[in-house]
Amino acid sequence: MLVENFKTTLSGYVRYRGQGHYVFLLHRITGLGTLLFLAIHILDTAVVYFAPAFYADAIAIYRSTPFMLGEIALVFCVIFHGANGLRIAYFDLVKPGAWEKHNANRVMLITLICSLVLWLPAAGIMGYDILKYNFGMFGG
Amino acid sequence: MTEITRTVKLKANYEAVAWKWMRYSGILLIPLAWGHILIQDVLVGVHRIDLNYVALRWSMWGWRAYDFFLLAFAFAHGVNGLHQVLSDYIKDARLRNVVSWLLFFFWLVISLVGAVAIIGGVKVQ
Repeated sequence: MLVENFKTTLSGYVRYRGQGHYVFLLHRITGLGTLLFLAIHILDTAVVYFAPAFYADAIAIYRSTPFMLGEIALVFCVIFHGANGLRIAYFDLVKPGAWEKHNANRVMLITLICSLVLWLPAAGIMGYDILKYNFGMFGG
Repeated sequence: MTEITRTVKLKANYEAVAWKWMRYSGILLIPLAWGHILIQDVLVGVHRIDLNYVALRWSMWGWRAYDFFLLAFAFAHGVNGLHQVLSDYIKDARLRNVVSWLLFFFWLVISLVGAVAIIGGVKVQ
């Protein structure tokens, strides 16, 4: 039965149901991705108390290039999930009557653009750090 | 045309409370989570983070309180979100109940581990 549900879910996901559908999906994916990282991050930070001798090893994993690329993706997840969450909270809590009336596609596009504008400089700085520390560029 | 508004008070159940709580905690997480990511991931960077850095940060009680609130709000917000997503796909009520309890213990154990570490601080070797 669970497999059946999963199949219906997947086929439902690939079918186009308008922009709102994709934003809804992106909200869930970025949220779940952030949660996966957060659970691991709480445990690796707890190492400073439970087994401080191993903290350097935990950090060494985060300093590897694949994890630093993942970190750049994580920052996008947190920025988009937050910006889109603010959009939802604003309409739900402040202006519930405006859900039907406002131009949803436009507001979602603005949310996405704001997320990208906030993310790009952060991604640039983090990308610079990868080149500097992991590839010895810029005198790293 | 006149508009007639009728307000209906519903009994607050878990879903209703969680719905509201997700929005309020989400707003609170904008400064908490975005601030944390801006400082630790972008400005400081993982190459400058080590045991001494954590010890220095946690020697300031304000940052320790900040991390404690971030832990409390972010992880509960996340696990409740996972609960919402799973509830959408699990049709069987009994299975949904089991998954809810598993998620509750997942949340409890990891929150406790994190809280103990923040309160206990960096153990000096």
